[in-house]
Amino acid sequence: MQFKQSLLASLLIGSGIISAPLSVLANDSTELEQLRALVQELDQKVRVLDRKNELAAEAADAKKKETPILKASEKGFGFQSGDGKFEIKLRGLIQADARYFDSGTNIATQAAPGGSTPGYLNNSDAFNTWLPRRLRPTIEGTVFEKYDFRFTPEFGGNSVLSDSGIVDAYVDARFTPELQLRVGKFKPYVGLERLQSAADIKFVERSYVTNALLPNRDIGASLHGNLLGGKLSYGLGIFNGVADGGDNTTSSDINNAKDFAARLFAIPFKDSDSPLAGLGFGIAATYGDVTGKTQDTVGASVTELTSGYKTEGQQTFFRYNDSSVLISGPALSQSANAPGTDWLVHADGKRYRIAPQANYYYGPLGVTAEYARVSQGVSIGSLNSNQTTLNHEAWEIGASYLMTGEDAAFKGVKPKRDFDINSGGWGAWELVARYSEINLDDKTFTFGTTNGVNAATNVAHWLYADPHISSKSAQTWTIGANWYLNPEVKFALNYVQTTFDGGGGPYVSPTSTSTYPISLKTNGSVFDRPDERALLARFQIAL
Amino acid sequence: MKTFYLTLSFLIVILALVNPLKVGAAEVTLLNVSYDPTRELYQDFNAAFAKYWQAKTGDKVTIKQSHGGSGKQARAVVDGLEADVATLALAYDVDALYEKGKLIPKDWQKRLPHNSSPYTSTIVFLVRKGNPKGIKDWDDVVKPGVSVITPNPKTSGGARWNYLAAWAYALKHNGNDEAKAKEFVAKLYKNVPVLDSGARGATTTFVERGIGDVLLAWENEAFLAKKELGSDKVEIVVPSLSILAEPPVTVVDKVVDKRKTRAVAEAYLSYLYTEEGQEIAAKNYYRPTLESVAKRYEGQFPKINLVKIDEVFGGWKKAQKTHFDDGGTFDQIYAK
Repeated sequence: MQFKQSLLASLLIGSGIISAPLSVLANDSTELEQLRALVQELDQKVRVLDRKNELAAEAADAKKKETPILKASEKGFGFQSGDGKFEIKLRGLIQADARYFDSGTNIATQAAPGGSTPGYLNNSDAFNTWLPRRLRPTIEGTVFEKYDFRFTPEFGGNSVLSDSGIVDAYVDARFTPELQLRVGKFKPYVGLERLQSAADIKFVERSYVTNALLPNRDIGASLHGNLLGGKLSYGLGIFNGVADGGDNTTSSDINNAKDFAARLFAIPFKDSDSPLAGLGFGIAATYGDVTGKTQDTVGASVTELTSGYKTEGQQTFFRYNDSSVLISGPALSQSANAPGTDWLVHADGKRYRIAPQANYYYGPLGVTAEYARVSQGVSIGSLNSNQTTLNHEAWEIGASYLMTGEDAAFKGVKPKRDFDINSGGWGAWELVARYSEINLDDKTFTFGTTNGVNAATNVAHWLYADPHISSKSAQTWTIGANWYLNPEVKFALNYVQTTFDGGGGPYVSPTSTSTYPISLKTNGSVFDRPDERALLARFQIAL
Repeated sequence: MKTFYLTLSFLIVILALVNPLKVGAAEVTLLNVSYDPTRELYQDFNAAFAKYWQAKTGDKVTIKQSHGGSGKQARAVVDGLEADVATLALAYDVDALYEKGKLIPKDWQKRLPHNSSPYTSTIVFLVRKGNPKGIKDWDDVVKPGVSVITPNPKTSGGARWNYLAAWAYALKHNGNDEAKAKEFVAKLYKNVPVLDSGARGATTTFVERGIGDVLLAWENEAFLAKKELGSDKVEIVVPSLSILAEPPVTVVDKVVDKRKTRAVAEAYLSYLYTEEGQEIAAKNYYRPTLESVAKRYEGQFPKINLVKIDEVFGGWKKAQKTHFDDGGTFDQIYAK
């Protein structure tokens, strides 16, 4: 304002309006008074204009706060209220995959193609295939600034839009950064790699730790939050309970048993200049007890046991003796010398999981390491016979390196220059490598008779899982590359090689429907399942 | 059963953590939605009340303040701003809480003494040091070449009091001739170069931006400006006639019942009528209604011939409809 007044005075003097009278009519006080009044009047006019601009700006700011904002950015599309307290976002994840198997076995244990003839080890090659691995539109939003919600159905993979086709459906109350409450269906705060978004994982498929042993998604409630400025995060939850690698449906629970999950994760040097600033480590655990609370109804997924452990090529290499192993169809009826419902394995007892985990990011380098051990109580048949606890474990260590110099991070990669043929940008390029393995408890493959079953059906057999069709362990090397065209679009290519212990018993063709697979009842020799060598490719858009 | 108890324990922990108020019942917050120039008054008053309430009940009360043009504030409350108490510039704005939002009962004004106005004020002139334009009364304010600062009556309660004070003066000096009064007030607004949305904004325009020769101001606002700027910068001129402004207060029933804050909100407003509350009002240049305190501060407030809105304008409802609703006299004269 002072500047404007000086400027005004200078202009008046410069233009001669003031200087001339000053020199010629210095004593003419009337004219001086008139000039002074004129300057004051002009000064007031300038001030009024300034103030009006100021008020107009204030009004515009106030109006802006009331005007809804339409958003379109790399974080999706959406609407937001002017004050930012209400928001709806439309996001999505599309992963178009291709799998090519140089060597590998199709999922075992299914009935032979073509009908009711009971099969045993379907030793055909794994199918080369194109598939939409994940097709997930997401609606998420915020109401009253602190209350978030998210709804994500799944149209890809093996899912259909049904009860089980809902990936996420939850509400999250952010009371404070330290105290937040999430309720609904979501990822329990347990596994490190699981908590990383499917759009941000470094490999086409997650490791055994995540996919096989730790829970995927469950229904319940969690308190969670960040303490010490984000240096320590915690999650504490209660859930319906889910099998290893399982994804609970949104239907009601089958029993009163509940699982408890807890996780602590520290990034002690966060926000410091230390080379350890990107070091994070933590531990998670779950606990549940379903003693006597699961059923073994044929065909119903109520056993609270995994439906199978899969390789990175998504081929099942392990199953408990469930209905698909024990041959579907009329063979399950309780007839003499026939494996039936009294041979089905189900969860029975306590289930503990423990999962120490760590990651480290330093410049373009990222390293993740995770271990999981699950102790699972199981028993057989409606009489809950042969109750025991099986201990399985898995671990993985993976590394990634961004050759184009971007910083590695838990959440996605933002290329320094997006891919653009015209301007010469090549996006971000990343090399990845991982070793992971899973080892199942020896007791899983016990040969014997079930307790308390009537004599007619009480023949010796593989009690919990058959080593001819289920492997005792698997070891996998994965190498690959990721090409981030921009923050939303990614190509990924992985070469995966897996070796197995067991699970490769010879295919034995049954002679008739009344003849059952020899190895199921015979403690015969066990062959290793053929190595799986596969190329997994992915083209992904994530908003 | 074990799972049941574990689940129950978990839920109790959650409830205890997310809702400590309900468990401890020791802390409560109130929102006082008020008009523009009461910031300083309620800063002082809130501190005193919090101390009083803690001593009385052991509970800690935190009072949040929201200030703006009185009409604007009333609209915000009607639109959902959760005010436990409303302390606005005029009864018409509080009436809106009943008429447009059914947030309070119709007879809200009868719930507290003095028509729910614990303090009063009036309208005076703030002029620059030495009063260069020689402004002594309303006649001087409407003279050509006098720049007048007053906020927008559409949004500001204080501005409506200013307008009605000028109108009342014109009526008195023109034999109650409404047409002449309208002409008089039209002349006044012809001298207004800029309309702020609230009284505090108008003070900023006059004092900080250096615009105008005279500010039509709340008495308390004028005293405060003089106190902060010093007598060598501004002077207060008391007109021969002004209007008795009665800023009312009320508990917002629907909000306090929802938030379970009725007891503390009612105590908060009642405390305004106590010796201590009145003392704080007087210290902040509001005219106290309690006889004993009013006597103590008699010398602080100039004696003015004050007219009442009910007597001259037939109450706020009528005044609002005639002068400030869309198409009313203000629109007619300001559009010119």
